[in-house]
Amino acid sequence: MITQNVKDALKEIVGEENYSDHVIDLVAFATDASEHKQRPDCAVWVTSTEQVKAIIKLANQERFPVVPRGAGTSLAGLAVPAEGGLVMDLGRMNKIIKISLDDRLVVVQPGVVYADLDKKLAPDGFFFPPDPASGMVATLGGNVATNAGGIRGAKYGTTRDYVLGLEVVLPNGEVLRAGGQNIKSSSGYDLARIFVGSEGTLGVITEIILKINPKPTETATAMATFPTLADAGRAVTQIMRSGILPSVLEVMDRLAIKAINENTDLGLPEVEAVLLAETDGFTAEEASFQIQKIIDLFKANNASSVEMATDPAEAAALWAARKSVYSVLTRLNNTVVVEDLAVPLSKVADTLKIIEEVGEKYGLQMPTVGHVGDGNLHPGVAFDRYDEKQRETAHAAAAELLGRVAGMGGTLTGEHGIGLAKAPHMHLEHDPVSMETMRSLKKLFDPHNILNPGKMALEA
Amino acid sequence: MSEYQFSEKYRDQLLRCSSCGFCRASCPVFNLTQRPALNARGKMLVLQEVFEGNLPLDEELHETLFQCTTCANCSTHCPSGVEVPTIIKEARRDLAQAGACHPTFIGMDQVLDKYSNIYGEDEPEDFERERNQEAENVFFIGCVGQYRDEEPTEATLDLLDHLEVDFTLIDEVCCSGVLEDVGLSLKEPLAQTNIERILATGAKRLITACPYCMRTFQNHPAYAPLKEAGVEVVHISQFLKDQDFGVTTDLKVTYHDPCDLGRHCGIYEEPRETIKKVAPNLLELAANREAANCCGAGGGVRGAFAANSIAMARRRLEEVEASGADILLTECNSCVHNLGNAKLRSQKFQIFTTPQFIHALVEGDLD
Repeated sequence: MITQNVKDALKEIVGEENYSDHVIDLVAFATDASEHKQRPDCAVWVTSTEQVKAIIKLANQERFPVVPRGAGTSLAGLAVPAEGGLVMDLGRMNKIIKISLDDRLVVVQPGVVYADLDKKLAPDGFFFPPDPASGMVATLGGNVATNAGGIRGAKYGTTRDYVLGLEVVLPNGEVLRAGGQNIKSSSGYDLARIFVGSEGTLGVITEIILKINPKPTETATAMATFPTLADAGRAVTQIMRSGILPSVLEVMDRLAIKAINENTDLGLPEVEAVLLAETDGFTAEEASFQIQKIIDLFKANNASSVEMATDPAEAAALWAARKSVYSVLTRLNNTVVVEDLAVPLSKVADTLKIIEEVGEKYGLQMPTVGHVGDGNLHPGVAFDRYDEKQRETAHAAAAELLGRVAGMGGTLTGEHGIGLAKAPHMHLEHDPVSMETMRSLKKLFDPHNILNPGKMALEA
Repeated sequence: MSEYQFSEKYRDQLLRCSSCGFCRASCPVFNLTQRPALNARGKMLVLQEVFEGNLPLDEELHETLFQCTTCANCSTHCPSGVEVPTIIKEARRDLAQAGACHPTFIGMDQVLDKYSNIYGEDEPEDFERERNQEAENVFFIGCVGQYRDEEPTEATLDLLDHLEVDFTLIDEVCCSGVLEDVGLSLKEPLAQTNIERILATGAKRLITACPYCMRTFQNHPAYAPLKEAGVEVVHISQFLKDQDFGVTTDLKVTYHDPCDLGRHCGIYEEPRETIKKVAPNLLELAANREAANCCGAGGGVRGAFAANSIAMARRRLEEVEASGADILLTECNSCVHNLGNAKLRSQKFQIFTTPQFIHALVEGDLD
């Protein structure tokens, strides 16, 4: 519980208008895009590093939890104030401080929305490649804290690959400036990247330096259907070792296709798997040379149909099914949990099989889509959260799935993070030595455990 | 679990909100305030808590439940297909039923029991025209055009005269549809009065200046007798599409899609066709058609949260400024009124309704 004295001190720091303990704010800050919920005691909207510093100092002194928050789009409960305390909304720190094409970087405040940066960079032909599906609202601070990915991971990597430097308010109230504006550096420990994917447990990010890329002007798209999962899996493996690096390589499994057909008028062929590939380049020839190679490999692996698009309208038609998946999933029942497994590329087909097996065992349909170019699969489980049995079954199935995937060398999460959803399963992937190292690191930075407590199994 | 109408009627939709937060990109109230509790997601989370019995439905919730312009930008783009404005309106009704309606609208309800318009004015502007004549068309002005923004109305009437349209005004009273948006009910006696006066003219077409009045006449069961009598209800923008004006201008114009005409009725192209007849230099605002940003006036927000309403209009006007247009056109007196109030002296563009603009061109006032 945060005392009235502390609440008054918080108001003093941010101003009355940037503080709230009104019930509507507590409800709105209780959750994110996950199924987890816990109301905080109060919330602040910060507008400067100085304010963050003062609040963190106070929290460290008074020992109350602080949960930094961006747009609250986490699918794993990263932004849920699991132990109450204070939610610190960084959405109003949303200035793009600098765009330097000469240095090929941007400096931004954490509350800048991905899409707003993209809009600013587009006229100059640049982009920040890791684009999560929530990019129209997700903030860059949240993307860094989650190590967010997106559909272009295979070719362009994830947020981690672009973070050059950070300003972070540490739990003791000191301001750390890690990294800088150099594209390369091997100077000391890479402190900036310790905070990438740290889920707000080590410090509050208040400024970000990101590398940006020139944006390819041309794309080509192809879609293929496969009679068996094995054929699609083999096609993926062969594409990834062919020397061609697709900018996008997506899969939809049989149940995803079935769900799309039952809920839209897209009328997809009822096959075992669909692959959707996009290649990019700076000339049409470059993009189409690459897509042709991919099409050859689709055909060599028994694709039952192949369609290709070279103009945006045709490409949009091929994308329609993939883009409809989230909408379709959310309409199946009142709750959908999207898993986020990632496996070595050669194990994609095996993993799709495992998902189907687990689904059958628990009597659940788990439609799956994923970014197979980087081995990242998103099985979705839709259920009625007010039905205890359904909820337990969905969670039991997810636990078994995570265990089997971790057992084959996969990871619990490719791009969503651990948060609350995966915290109970951390041990499946990380051995005691890893867990102890993570816990030691947490203690080093945050000895009083004030920052986003309850996440990542750091306290167990 | 609660037994309110909003959850009784819309349980599946309410719970289907997966709280993805994508509505942050489209909610005008959130974009102004950056306060998640006022976003569509915040509203759905609050109502989910009420549904689950964790939160009482009372005045504490006014700030979020009554601060929705019902612009439908969220629902148009919601991946889960949640009809947020519909659920909000039902929750407002539940609040009113529980004796906890927002005081602004209790006041409006009382005014409409006594007066023929939402402003409680005694004397309507007569626009120097005979009323209640026999004619092919009735032109229905609406409260804003009748009592607050008379200039566009005057100009529209002059334009209809210029086009030799056979029309009449009536002694109109408030359609009272707006009460339905704020948790209350349309006034049947007012509807009855309008219906009698419209039908008495023998008109086969009812042309409205206000998109909201149009929606009320077309959709509310109280106005069913109009349809039964074969009276077609159209908005002035639809009517003008088929007219010839004989004037053009090189002025750069842009167009603000009113939510009630655009997202709520799907009327996007007819106003543009009309505008292009007289002003081929039509520039689009950054957010247009289904994605157009709300002017901030709707859903009772101008009445209950005036400062934020004006601030939303100001944000929309920033888009107008960025477009480089000389003229901002729209098709709703309420939008014109709010945008006009929000316009800064430093902003040099002018704001008109489309008929008002065409009339000015016809008169040679804008060369």
